[in-house]
Amino acid sequence: MTEAVAQPDGAVRSTGQRGDRLATGFLVLPGVIWLAILFLAPLVIIGVISVGSLDASGRVTLANPSLANYLEALNPEFLPALGRSLYYAGVTTVLSLGIGYPVAYWISRYGGRRKILLLVLVMLPFWTSYLIRTYAWMIILRDNGVVNSLLRSVGLIDDPIRILNTDISVILGMTYGFLPFAILPLFVSIDRLDFSLVQAARDLYASGRGAFLHVTLPLTMPGIVAAGLLTFIPALGDYVTPDILGGAETTTIANIVQVIFTSGRDWPYGSALGFLLMAVTIAGTLLALRSLRREVVGAPA
Amino acid sequence: MTGNRQPSGLTFDQLLSRQLREAGWTRREFLARVAAFGAATALTQLLVACGQAGGSPSAPAATSAATPGATTAAIATPEITAAPTPVPSPEKELFVYNWDEYIGEDTVKKFEDKYGIKVTYDNFPDEPTQIGKIQSDGKGGGYDVTYPASTWIPQFSADGTIRKLDHSLLPNLKNLSAPWQNPGYDPGNAYSVPNYWWTTGYAWNPKKVKGDLTSWAELWKPDYKGRMYMLDDQREVFAAGAFRLGLSPNTTSAAELDQILQLLEEQKPLLRDYSTDDIAGITGGDVDISHCWSGDWVQMTYDAPDTKYVIPSEGAVKGNDVMVVLAGAPHPIAAHLWIDFNLDGDISAENTNYIGYMGPNEAALPKLESYIVDDPRLNPPPEELAKLTELSYLAPADQALYTDRWTALKA
Repeated sequence: MTEAVAQPDGAVRSTGQRGDRLATGFLVLPGVIWLAILFLAPLVIIGVISVGSLDASGRVTLANPSLANYLEALNPEFLPALGRSLYYAGVTTVLSLGIGYPVAYWISRYGGRRKILLLVLVMLPFWTSYLIRTYAWMIILRDNGVVNSLLRSVGLIDDPIRILNTDISVILGMTYGFLPFAILPLFVSIDRLDFSLVQAARDLYASGRGAFLHVTLPLTMPGIVAAGLLTFIPALGDYVTPDILGGAETTTIANIVQVIFTSGRDWPYGSALGFLLMAVTIAGTLLALRSLRREVVGAPA
Repeated sequence: MTGNRQPSGLTFDQLLSRQLREAGWTRREFLARVAAFGAATALTQLLVACGQAGGSPSAPAATSAATPGATTAAIATPEITAAPTPVPSPEKELFVYNWDEYIGEDTVKKFEDKYGIKVTYDNFPDEPTQIGKIQSDGKGGGYDVTYPASTWIPQFSADGTIRKLDHSLLPNLKNLSAPWQNPGYDPGNAYSVPNYWWTTGYAWNPKKVKGDLTSWAELWKPDYKGRMYMLDDQREVFAAGAFRLGLSPNTTSAAELDQILQLLEEQKPLLRDYSTDDIAGITGGDVDISHCWSGDWVQMTYDAPDTKYVIPSEGAVKGNDVMVVLAGAPHPIAAHLWIDFNLDGDISAENTNYIGYMGPNEAALPKLESYIVDDPRLNPPPEELAKLTELSYLAPADQALYTDRWTALKA
């Protein structure tokens, strides 16, 4: 646009735009290739396998493609597991936002010169494999683990309390795992907030709470939405945490997919269920984004 | 008991083992679980799927830097005929694919020293990974030798995943004890050689659970609510239910499987978890009773010497794994030498003494540790052994009957 002003001649302007478009295209190319290889290709593979079936020796065959696997995957017996997935992901998201927002706010407002250091600290856990960190939680939470030993040594309990293999351990593990994904987008949006707007609100006699609710919160809503999605979606598909920290009653729908693929050795069926879940997740996300966008755009900006 | 397993100078691996064991882990469990969820595994499986779906032989993705799979395509498969050359000269390399910590401490090195063959020894974290990999190209994924459960042999010999063994290269087959000369899954050991065998029963902590337990029914007692594990293994869990009902653990009757499922649904609220962390579960005190394999019980006793184990009276599963030469083996002669080497009485004894699983080797018996060979729970007398049942291979349609009920149980 600035270019358009600078260029008096229409022809030159259009050449400039074409050049721009070409350059932009080149810049986008690596991303497109990346997505095509690492996202679209696997998706297509899963899609193709999902209409296949198993031959007599248990290998995937596409001889008689059908949607039978999808019909089988719409199994009401899976509803409790699906409900659990939504519950764990929902609670994890709320907790991550609840814990992440104050942390991000504090780093942004009071981090000063140490902002970068503090952000690195938030990301520090990524230097160790998620799996190993989750196993560490197992050692911490088990009946004669760190927590129970501590509680016993200070005399708060006599018998170990069961933490591992419960809903609590699963939610704790998931919140721990996904919290950094919430903090980072929250930090970005809070850090970009022009605090003179908050000061203006205070000058106009808004209370601290009022300024936060009517200025800070709406202006950081894009960060909250991003953080929520970045937490909720991977949490919905998480099977590692419920598998390791969970128990007999914590199976999620992702665990069911895992079981069908591994001990069931039925790739077409597992692919169909996985595909179905993905479709539901994408549809739900788009829906949530649309309604939230309306809200955000509608908010005083 | 672990004393004989600790040499004076500890390697990093052994140090790691010790650290993990002190934390309630065995190194094998740890690595297996870490790898089980690793991105490399996911990638491998994806490529496997790719190859299977497209019907084109795919080069398996590397799960480790040393994976020979990458070179598979370039190696022409030498044919081994029923009548081999009289003095076969072995190849200079061998690719072995096995569980971690599942062989004698020095077995690989001794083999390399004896034959001058360089062994690339890769590990898989769980059976689905193993099977997925060797089926990735339909002929072994580039490996020479692997160790599947014996239940796979009827399928693998029929679909050409493994090749017929040349018994003239396996003089040590004579060391196998009589019942193992002609196993039901592979008459005459034509395609496979038995490696280790085990029973599946349950272990308990006698400090928390009083009495001499003998029945599967104990695992359904409300007294032990929240203090029990069942193995996270579909076939084993259904087998336990089948034994309680007096049914065959190999049933493929939908009605019988529904009966078993109902029994298992009753048990589920009493369980803390379906878990293959049975060793840590008992030694770490999370559970007092755990469904487990006999060899895992041996490993429990390293940390919790009091732990008891029983092969339940209603019947139990006995299982074994085997050594096979894969159809696409780039080094078939060396592969036979490897199998024959592990059939040697001394080597077989060293393998068993190191990991605690019984072998089928008659010549090894005098050299086995007494705590293994003299324990009827690890080495039941023949008449007891005869009462146990082997799990049979399930065709995909029958497997689906189990999977449907297993997912219903877990959901």
